[in-house]
Amino acid sequence: MRETMRRRTRIAMVLCLLAAGLMSFVTPATAAPAERYLHVNVQDPTKGGSVNINVPLSMAEKILPAINNHDLHDGKVSIHNAEMNDVDVRALLDAVRTAPDNEFVTVKDKDSDVRVAKSNGNIIVHVTDKKNREQKVDVTVPLKVVDALFSTAKNDELDVAAALRALSDAGDVLLVTVHDSSQKVRVWVDSRNTQD
Amino acid sequence: MILLAKLALGMAGVGLAGAGVLCGGGLVHVRVIEKEPQGHHINVIAPAMLAPIAVHFAPRRELGHAAREIQPYMPVVRAALDGLRDTEDVVLLEVKAPGEHVQVSKSRGSIVVDVEDARETVHVSAPVRALSSTVEQLAAATSNPL
Repeated sequence: MRETMRRRTRIAMVLCLLAAGLMSFVTPATAAPAERYLHVNVQDPTKGGSVNINVPLSMAEKILPAINNHDLHDGKVSIHNAEMNDVDVRALLDAVRTAPDNEFVTVKDKDSDVRVAKSNGNIIVHVTDKKNREQKVDVTVPLKVVDALFSTAKNDELDVAAALRALSDAGDVLLVTVHDSSQKVRVWVDSRNTQD
Repeated sequence: MILLAKLALGMAGVGLAGAGVLCGGGLVHVRVIEKEPQGHHINVIAPAMLAPIAVHFAPRRELGHAAREIQPYMPVVRAALDGLRDTEDVVLLEVKAPGEHVQVSKSRGSIVVDVEDARETVHVSAPVRALSSTVEQLAAATSNPL
């Protein structure tokens, strides 16, 4: 009788160990994805000031569809005056998506230089203001986010909520940097809840 | 004598249990310190559960204006509080300027606002859940006029 009890105890222990081992494999697969944050950092060294904003993307995704004001409805922005009537944005995006990495647009005039390129699945825009030589704007947007932005049925709408969702799925990315003589602005997405 | 002791013990137990229930929803903390020589020092710590109860029993006539004002923003407020409830602790906003510091954060289930400038120091913290209930009670004030 005692022998049977011992055997059962051993079997139970082995089963527990097996279950624990299985759990260690299963848990990472079923764990909730890490929260991702949209960070905005504005530094003004001339005035000694700074602004840091950290917004959980999941929170932004919940708030955005709730805002119905002017041109923002259900997470979509209407672009009435974009003058895009004759431009098939989807075809344009499709062409960019399938094209190899390259610089597509280079505009140089007396006031500014503008370059638009595709690199590693991102659309990259560089703007240099010649009037104020120190002002530079760099924008990097993953193509998936651009696709999501134009994923609505209407041509004059941008689906910002879908873009936010796509941004959640994209990796860590530095979206915008602006440098001028007095201020530095950075906007980026990562999975850290601080800017340190 | 023993009966009195038992009664006192029972009353103390009820009091403690009541305090436990009241504080179970967290605490609202408001601290204002004016830096002038004769400045006020205000420090209020109250059970958060009292806030929605207070709004519920407040005269509807007095709340009507605030309730009407908040109505259009309720979907956004609900979504924001819902989103905040689910997020982990985070500094949402930090503004630094010479002599000034403002920070809005979520910490241990509460929204915490800290403002520090040359004139005063302000600290406000309130549990997100209690804020939700209070705002809902306030919004309901227009729909259920007494």
